[in-house]
Amino acid sequence: MSTYFESYLTVGAFAALGAVLVLVMLGVASVLRPTKPTAEKQLTYECGVDPVGDGWSQTYVRYYVFGLLFVIFDVEAVFIFPWAIQVDELGVFALVAMLFFIVTVIEGLVYAVKKGVLRWE
Amino acid sequence: MSWEVDYLAIAPELIIIGSLFLVLGLDLTLPRLKKYWTATAAVAGSALALIPLAFLAVEGETISMFDGSYVVDEFALVLKGLFLVTAYIVFLMSVNYIESERYYQGEYYLLLLASVLGSLVLASARDLIVLFIGIELVTGPLYLLAGWRKGDVKSNEASLKYFILGVLSTAILLYGMSVLYGLTGEITFSGLAEATAAMPNSPALTMAVLFLIVGFGFKISAVPFHFWAPDTYEGAPTPITAYLSVNSKAAGFVAMLLVMYLALPGVSDVWAPALWALAALSMTIGNLSALRQTNIVRLLAYSSIAQAGFMLVPFAAAAVAGADLEEAFSATVIYLVIYAVMNLGAFGVVIAGARTTKSGEISDWAGLSNVDSRAAVLVAVFFFSLAGIPPLAGWFAKFVMFRSVMIAGGAATVVLAVVAAVNAVIALYYYAKVVKSVWLDDATREFPGEFDEPPAGSLRLALAISVGLTVVVGFFPALATFVADASRVIAAGG
Amino acid sequence: MTFSDWIAEPVNWVFAAIGLAVLFSGFRVVTSKNVVHAALYLVGALAGTAGLFLLMSAEFVAWVLVLVYIGAVIVLFLFGIMITRAPTGLDESLSSDQTAMPALLSAAVFVVMTWASIDAFGTELLATVGEATSTQVIGESLLGRFVIPFEVVSFVLLAALIGGITIARRDLTPVEEEERMSV
Repeated sequence: MSTYFESYLTVGAFAALGAVLVLVMLGVASVLRPTKPTAEKQLTYECGVDPVGDGWSQTYVRYYVFGLLFVIFDVEAVFIFPWAIQVDELGVFALVAMLFFIVTVIEGLVYAVKKGVLRWE
Repeated sequence: MSWEVDYLAIAPELIIIGSLFLVLGLDLTLPRLKKYWTATAAVAGSALALIPLAFLAVEGETISMFDGSYVVDEFALVLKGLFLVTAYIVFLMSVNYIESERYYQGEYYLLLLASVLGSLVLASARDLIVLFIGIELVTGPLYLLAGWRKGDVKSNEASLKYFILGVLSTAILLYGMSVLYGLTGEITFSGLAEATAAMPNSPALTMAVLFLIVGFGFKISAVPFHFWAPDTYEGAPTPITAYLSVNSKAAGFVAMLLVMYLALPGVSDVWAPALWALAALSMTIGNLSALRQTNIVRLLAYSSIAQAGFMLVPFAAAAVAGADLEEAFSATVIYLVIYAVMNLGAFGVVIAGARTTKSGEISDWAGLSNVDSRAAVLVAVFFFSLAGIPPLAGWFAKFVMFRSVMIAGGAATVVLAVVAAVNAVIALYYYAKVVKSVWLDDATREFPGEFDEPPAGSLRLALAISVGLTVVVGFFPALATFVADASRVIAAGG
Repeated sequence: MTFSDWIAEPVNWVFAAIGLAVLFSGFRVVTSKNVVHAALYLVGALAGTAGLFLLMSAEFVAWVLVLVYIGAVIVLFLFGIMITRAPTGLDESLSSDQTAMPALLSAAVFVVMTWASIDAFGTELLATVGEATSTQVIGESLLGRFVIPFEVVSFVLLAALIGGITIARRDLTPVEEEERMSV
């Protein structure tokens, strides 16, 4: 077994521990607490407005633009990681290349702001 | 480690990038009524980019960068020239079309410039990664541009069909590439050529090659991967249709030829029969479907499917016969260049004629010669050229194609030549039908559109360039053979 | 390599478990009658694939899969579902009668791919298993050898962003447009 798998074994152990912790706490709570459900208590907002209709409703298309921006900049971030961990070694050429990349994509954001599609009305 | 970048060699790309940024900047700062300046920037950019191209062509050196994955040789220069000139013509055709309806002008030119940038990168690509990114940048913006007429259901359908099938084909293409990489561990074309020639033919290699052909087949809309083309062509804005049928098809062809010729010559016994079948099917089914069309754009869509078949003929024939691929490669490139010019002209004249007829139905075009004789002459020029009638450029394309098939020889080749000859006759019938309708038939109705004023200057210029090239190349085919010489360089230097 | 050798290696247990989970999720993506459930099963399939990449020591690819696909693309999927279809309950139109042909085709593709892969690679072991392809190496080639495709990607992203916004946005009247531009 190499160090690579060993280090991921640690990650796995921690993940398992976290899951166990949650299960234990919820389990203990469900054993200890009294359960007397009534219709009123089962509502989404026990002391708020009664919910009306389905849980799902059609959303505005304008959310889509935000989702799109998120995806694009997520992809951009992914490209930045391999550069960011060794900025010094890669040198000026890589810095310029990365700046060009970032500026190009940022222009999309400038476009969105300037055209007012991010404004909520 | 640092890598040498020759900035003169990538100057055309840089100029296109510059004009793309300029278009974006203008779009964000100019008031609504001055947005036509974005069109000027795009037109100027595509023209300016030709200047460094000329310098590089005069120098005539082969410049290889990044371990031979990005190469600027004469072949790349010819194709870059083709992409830039056709883009220039498409921009000119767009100016009034886009202005006349409420389109997003700035965004339109920005996306088209991005697509042009992709085609320039593609022409220099000599490894799978550059090739893939290039082809994605060519088609990506077009998915959106095909649906540019947002309020029109047909345009929405055009965009959606093109997008779904395009993405599917991209996935198949990428899978083929990754299997190829997995088998050989190489991504440059030269490395792949060595590795595939040395390895025995395995099912995985065959599968990878076939996946590549399916992927490229969609891009060039060859039968049986053509289903998206007619609906997309009909629904998209007409300048975009012209771009789709010329630039993006040419880009697909270039990508396919580069991969087959440079990276996979060792496995030609796998792809040669597949290309042979694609060529025969595309010609036959494209032409037979075109016979039944009543809409002029759909007719051109099917005709461009058939033309893709003709373009494949020299390359497929030579590969099947085991003959010299170099000759066939240059024949296919010549056909591609001539097709690009005359097909653009045909779409230009459709835009010009539609101002008068306000209809895409061929029957509504009857008697156009009575009211707009110049448009009618141009219809005759471009459609007869597409049919291959001398002395228009199309005849030389067909001549080169048949000559290359004759050189190749062999039974399968002769069969393909016969199929091509029969199809050339069928094609003549439906091209001539359009010309007959325009010239000989009587108008069945009053033309609803304008015909006193000539079309806008930019459209006239676009038509003038196309008609000039079509006629001049037809009379002096020697001009086209320099394309052939340039494409031979690739065998030596690439 | 015999089966008993294979099963003796604990890494292979993990591989088998993740592989089965991916298979199941993938199957449910196609067969699920609720689009939201299908999208969530897709998360499972992608997470499993990320796990498989980790097993093959392709750390960077694995985490990109988690970040971009699970983190962003699925979000866009769910947005897309919520924008176009509401309410998102059971949808009978999702189940088509024509299942035989696609199923047959998929099965055929699966058989061919599996056969070709086994034929080509057989019991060949990946030489690098257990040694991570470091993110440094990726950075060096991304900004060196592959700098041209890397820069071109930025234009793919820019075009996708601007084109996507143009298609998705509400068309403004000329007056509204003037107002916005003047701000």
